[in-house]
Amino acid sequence: MTTDTTAAGPAEPPETPVRGGTKSPRALAWERRRHSAARFWRQYRTHRAGVVGLAALVLFALLALTAPLTVGADVQSVTDAPGGPMEEPSGEFWLGTDQFGRDLFGLVLWGSRVSLLVGLLAAVLSVLIGALVGITAGHFRGWYATVVMRVTDWFLVMPTLVLAIALATVMSRSLLTIIVAIGVTSWPTTARLVRAQTLAVESRPYIERARALGGGHGHVMTRHVLPNVMPLVLAQTTLMISSSILSEATLAFLGLGDPTLVSWGGLLQDAREAGAVSSGNWWYLVPPGIAIAVVALAFTLCGRAVESVLNPRLGVAR
Amino acid sequence: MDTRAQQDQYGRGGPGPRAGRTRAPRLTRRLTRPLRSLRLTVAAGAAALALTAGLATPLNPAPQQARADDGKKVLTVAVAQSMDSLSPFLAVRLVSTSVLRLTYEYLTGYSAKDNSAVPGLATEWTASDDKLTWTYTIRSDAKWSDGKPVTAEDAAWTFNKMMTDAGAATANGSFVGNFREVTAPSPTKLVIELKKPQATMAALDVPIVPKHVWEKVGDFSKFNNDKDFPIVGDGPFVLTGYKADSYVRLKANKSFWRGAPKFDELVFKYYKDGDAAVAALQKGEVSFVYNLTPAQSAALKKQENIKVNDAPGRRFYALATNPGARSKDGQEFGDGDPSLLDERVRHALFMAVDRKTIVDKVFQGHAVEGKGYIPPRFDTYHWEPSGDQELSYDPAAAAKLLDEAGYRKNAAGKRVGKDGRPLNYRVLCHATDPNDKAVGKYLEEWWGDLGIGITLDCLDNVTDPWLAGEYDLAFDGWSVNPDPDFVLSIHTCAALPATPKDTGATDNFICDEKYDGLYDRQLAEYDPAKRADLVKQMQSRLYDTGYMNVMAYPNAVEAYRTDQIASITTMPEAAGNIFGQDGYWSWWSAQPAGSDGSSGSGGSTGVVVGIVAGVVVLAGAAGLLALRRRSTADDRE
Repeated sequence: MTTDTTAAGPAEPPETPVRGGTKSPRALAWERRRHSAARFWRQYRTHRAGVVGLAALVLFALLALTAPLTVGADVQSVTDAPGGPMEEPSGEFWLGTDQFGRDLFGLVLWGSRVSLLVGLLAAVLSVLIGALVGITAGHFRGWYATVVMRVTDWFLVMPTLVLAIALATVMSRSLLTIIVAIGVTSWPTTARLVRAQTLAVESRPYIERARALGGGHGHVMTRHVLPNVMPLVLAQTTLMISSSILSEATLAFLGLGDPTLVSWGGLLQDAREAGAVSSGNWWYLVPPGIAIAVVALAFTLCGRAVESVLNPRLGVAR
Repeated sequence: MDTRAQQDQYGRGGPGPRAGRTRAPRLTRRLTRPLRSLRLTVAAGAAALALTAGLATPLNPAPQQARADDGKKVLTVAVAQSMDSLSPFLAVRLVSTSVLRLTYEYLTGYSAKDNSAVPGLATEWTASDDKLTWTYTIRSDAKWSDGKPVTAEDAAWTFNKMMTDAGAATANGSFVGNFREVTAPSPTKLVIELKKPQATMAALDVPIVPKHVWEKVGDFSKFNNDKDFPIVGDGPFVLTGYKADSYVRLKANKSFWRGAPKFDELVFKYYKDGDAAVAALQKGEVSFVYNLTPAQSAALKKQENIKVNDAPGRRFYALATNPGARSKDGQEFGDGDPSLLDERVRHALFMAVDRKTIVDKVFQGHAVEGKGYIPPRFDTYHWEPSGDQELSYDPAAAAKLLDEAGYRKNAAGKRVGKDGRPLNYRVLCHATDPNDKAVGKYLEEWWGDLGIGITLDCLDNVTDPWLAGEYDLAFDGWSVNPDPDFVLSIHTCAALPATPKDTGATDNFICDEKYDGLYDRQLAEYDPAKRADLVKQMQSRLYDTGYMNVMAYPNAVEAYRTDQIASITTMPEAAGNIFGQDGYWSWWSAQPAGSDGSSGSGGSTGVVVGIVAGVVVLAGAAGLLALRRRSTADDRE
């Protein structure tokens, strides 16, 4: 991914022509970034699927953020549940009720908060670890890289879900546990990708020049390598969020989540435990399931679009 | 322990070394799957289905479960609880003791009609005038499954082993603690001499094992009796196969003295997921499912060929308080919250639980509101608190009680403990029990209003923190036997572990002098009315301490296929449970349904139609796939 759409290394020629010599370097850099952002958006818009995904994401984010105003935390209350157990969808309860008589429409809205939060944080954690491991392994090489990459390989061949289940089981049941369990098990792909990109970047002549001018390890990694792997990391994060959301739902569905929190996976687990599957109470199962699928799909569409904008060589069909 | 009071389905309760539940294999269905592999999966699935469909054509119909392969009548029961052991000396769980009930005969049994003592291995039993010497006449028509006769010597050996070997006393030791000597003067005569009178002599729930097999066993605390099949027994069924968390296979004992069972084979098949078990019942893969949720029972009631049995259960469902774990040698251990040592706090927690709502909402009416310790089904012993003794739901009074006890609210509205920190109780719950989690949600809100926080610790295996006393409150429940001695004994000081490292029979470390005094008196009381009165006084005492908040008596909610089981005995007969009885009545008496009912052919027609439709759809899908395949291949070129 030899991109230069975002902040490029100093050795790269500036993309935008310098208009006049009056502007400070800082202002120039900002102008360049604004331009590349605008160009990025122009190209992104041409990916119809990406736009659809983005629209879905914005909608879900808005719903999740405004949930305290629209449905309120009271929707989780079992003692003040408004309906009877397992009521079918009606005018009063658009998606019916659960076994406690709680409004499922409200619960699905409320559950989006936990699902999205866990998905985002776990993906960020996973990509952070992956980027750190990848850049350092690509930069230092030698025995350090060998050891780190063998560890990465080990994590790569371990089934992620099994590892996450094991982690979630030994740690106490909380939101943080789930985030950590997903984060520390799903980073190896990112690490591999980032390392490959780091190796490619570091073989360029300007890195050698920077070293010759006295640039230390930290300087090379943060000022030259990082900006060049950033696009990859961004695309990877977007893609990782959807798999994190799915993992969160899986763990919650398997009963490893915090039982007092409402999330989509948790709702599916509640439905299963209440016997909704065999009793045919579809309204309990379908909405959270569709919500998970839609959000995961939206993130994937966005991620793919970002990926193909940043790396035209991928040649992904629109 | 045995059927006296087994741990129920979820392996509740702490006592016994094997008391906790092992980790249930989780449903490991992955939700994530790359889209690309989906096509492959569909194709593979189509191929697999086409193959199986080919096998189950109308000419070659799939075997029906009720009359399998060679005309054998097989009864399949879906179970979920893991087996702790198949050794009668170790097993305490409901599933394992139910299996042992079927494979080993006891001295006496309980009548299915009214729970009265009926002859088992013993045809009659008499006591001496001082009630300290009991003589049992052992029947001569009982045989072990290897052909050897069952004699009084087997029974004497079983009891003596439990009296002399601590490992053999693990599960049922409480029965023989008061025995002085057990002898077998003749093959049909068993004599038990007691140290003190014991009221449970006609209710000794101890499986009698064959001496000639068991005297070869070395370490009774380790031997699980699950290697050498068939296992030599004398019950209505013989254990012929067992695989952990997979199945238990039992063959009918045709020479059983009470008469051979009607089914040829009984299989306990494991379904760790309740919904999967119900689906198997709907398809006819299993004949019987128990522990249904309200939604499942409502759905099954509407189906034909399925009968739902919803009857008063023999279980109580409680919230147990950690009273400060300690051992017999006086050492204290664990880390129970010190505020719970205050009776007023326990009463306040009691009064902030609305038991009626729990019955109405969580059990949706499939339970009876909890009052005393012993379920109302055992009406001789059932006790209810009087008007002013009752700790009824009253949050305002609970708040007042907490204020009086010195646990006042701080600025943030949280009650503060003596150490200045807000009160927050850890509630131990079974991750596999939906009811625990559901009730936990209510507790969180009720006690939250009171200013007390809770942390719901839902674990697959609650045994470790439970035995270590590392909890504040815990969901608890036991199945109660017609003779309540055992469930009462688990709250005595004598049941405490010897040292913090040992495992006692205790449920939750309760040790109360007054209660113990009453316990000893009831055990020695031969007059049924007086004994019942003492048992009620014990429950009253237990209630007043506030250690055990019995929230509900859940119903037995079970379902069976009427096209596979024509009739089956419940216990008690009028309205009772089928699974987990105090005896072998249900499976022994179960009548297979007629071998060619009209429903069967209807079912197979449906199957055929379904298969044909499925094949057509799959063929279409496969064709479509092939077309797409080709088109993409063309595109590539």
